[in-house]
Amino acid sequence: MAAKTTLRRIMRLFGISAKMDLAWLMRDTMYALAGITADMIGNLSVVSGVLLISVRFGGIGGMSADEVLFMMAYSTLITGLFIVFGASNNIHISRIIGRGQLEHFFIQPLSLKTQLITYGFCPFTGGGNLLVGLILLIIAIQRLGLTLSVGWILALSGHLLTTMVIIVARSYLASTLAFYAPVAAEEISSTVIEGTWLLSTFPLSGMPAALQVPLLTILPEGLMAWFPALSLLGKPPLGWSAAYPMLFALILTLITSYFFRKGLNYYVRKGSNRYVPYGFRR
Amino acid sequence: MSPMASAVNLQGVTKRFVQWQRDNTGKGMLKNLLKPEKKEITALLDVSFQVEKGEFVAYAGPNGAGKSTTMKLLSGMLLPDSGDIAVLGLCPQRQRRELMSRLGVLFGNRTELWWDHPVIQSYEWKKVVWDIPEAVYHQNLEMVTELLDLGGLLKTFSRELSLGQRMRADLGMLLLHSPELILLDEPTLGLDVVAKRQMISFLKKINRENGVTLIVTSHDMDDLEEMAQRILMISGGKIAYDGSFDGLRTMTGNLTRLTVATDNGFVPDLGNGGPVSSEKGVYEFEIDLAKTPIQELMRQLSRAQGVRDVEIKKAPIEQVIARLYQSWR
Repeated sequence: MAAKTTLRRIMRLFGISAKMDLAWLMRDTMYALAGITADMIGNLSVVSGVLLISVRFGGIGGMSADEVLFMMAYSTLITGLFIVFGASNNIHISRIIGRGQLEHFFIQPLSLKTQLITYGFCPFTGGGNLLVGLILLIIAIQRLGLTLSVGWILALSGHLLTTMVIIVARSYLASTLAFYAPVAAEEISSTVIEGTWLLSTFPLSGMPAALQVPLLTILPEGLMAWFPALSLLGKPPLGWSAAYPMLFALILTLITSYFFRKGLNYYVRKGSNRYVPYGFRR
Repeated sequence: MSPMASAVNLQGVTKRFVQWQRDNTGKGMLKNLLKPEKKEITALLDVSFQVEKGEFVAYAGPNGAGKSTTMKLLSGMLLPDSGDIAVLGLCPQRQRRELMSRLGVLFGNRTELWWDHPVIQSYEWKKVVWDIPEAVYHQNLEMVTELLDLGGLLKTFSRELSLGQRMRADLGMLLLHSPELILLDEPTLGLDVVAKRQMISFLKKINRENGVTLIVTSHDMDDLEEMAQRILMISGGKIAYDGSFDGLRTMTGNLTRLTVATDNGFVPDLGNGGPVSSEKGVYEFEIDLAKTPIQELMRQLSRAQGVRDVEIKKAPIEQVIARLYQSWR
């Protein structure tokens, strides 16, 4: 009988991924540190541009500079979580599908879901942005004079989780195309997620509703940092409920789940001939 | 034996693929936009066979015959269009997780090792993912390290291994969870003679001593004959032969190689159209013992002049198979 996927087993799977990440950091320390630093500089430059503008003009679109700082902290935390949990292409799944590498997953005695959740975990080499995000968050909380409560921390965790679910669902929905067109769609996930990343760090306050609404529904960049940050500050935009991102995440997950299963079914019926025999590209 | 007791049981399995046909002319590209041309490829057509537990089976066939497709169907990577598949009594598609804890799959052109980690790290990863009990893991690790001579490789990064070393390391990893059935697709691909010998003797040993069932595909027929007791040959998506290697020889005419060394100037006449090769008084004949019985052959040899030495050998299995493949075209 296949072993049950218990919480303990999931923790062990996270554990082995973390151990391998630490081993890589310790063996190739120079390269790892260079990579971590580059990641942090890259992300800090994305958020600092917006932050500097808000400091220079005393805020953006009705948001104070400290509120913008809080939003940037939220955005950096999301980037950190994305790298910590998804650095092995398990979020950019179109790469795995497009390269025919799902077959590596099929021969493991684990559900695809468990494998995808646990195997890209890299807390040591990927934790830099998470740390910077935490530092920015602490500074923003102090400057805004927020009173921390268990409820607020739970709300923050809930929003972070919801944003991550939206990112993963968007990526997987777009990646479904790679089941049908592996060559053309191999990089579609990074195009969809990272191509609009800059937009997700821009405070949409002060913009007309005609612009805000599409960015909270059709192209949900406003849900990446702006809407959750303002909700956590007690000012959900457009007078919408702070729970809106959760509803959006739920609907998107259901749609993604339907299409992804369909694509996966197509993949196991048609197969993939895109495996790259030279080298190992997990 | 009942199908439940079989290691593998395929019943009426059919698998077809669609290939898009494209040409590089402007007209062709336009046509492709409006009405793409598709070609249906039948990889397997109503294929049925059984492999019993403990068997060592060679699965052979020309390029594109459907060997890898069969391997992927058995390991749950592909769904059949029709037919039933049972592997160790389980359905590969519906009971994939349970099956994978008892099955080992290795494709020669790919690796399951973590590229940027030492081999031992991949092994440890496998222990966790397959939930291998500590005692079993250490026992198997010791066994594969000794039998596959992995001692010097365990601390080496996988990307730094030679092809032969990588195959050995991959095979070692495959065995860590004590699989009851192993599917190997082209495991000797690209290996040098020494690495090949090492792999063959190891596979024979685990089949003989541990009772592991093995199904191996390869284009190297001599390797397959040395390893397996039974050969399943597939051609055009159908099982063309299922039996022993000797039976295969008989089927293709019981080909035999006869080497005759003579004194200079004498060319033996065996009445079969002459030698297939000759060099310095040594002549090689291809004799079909089904047409020319051995007694008749001996009689003809005794009548030949200047014969110094005679050697009779079975025809290389490669030659037998080549003849068979040509007849299937």
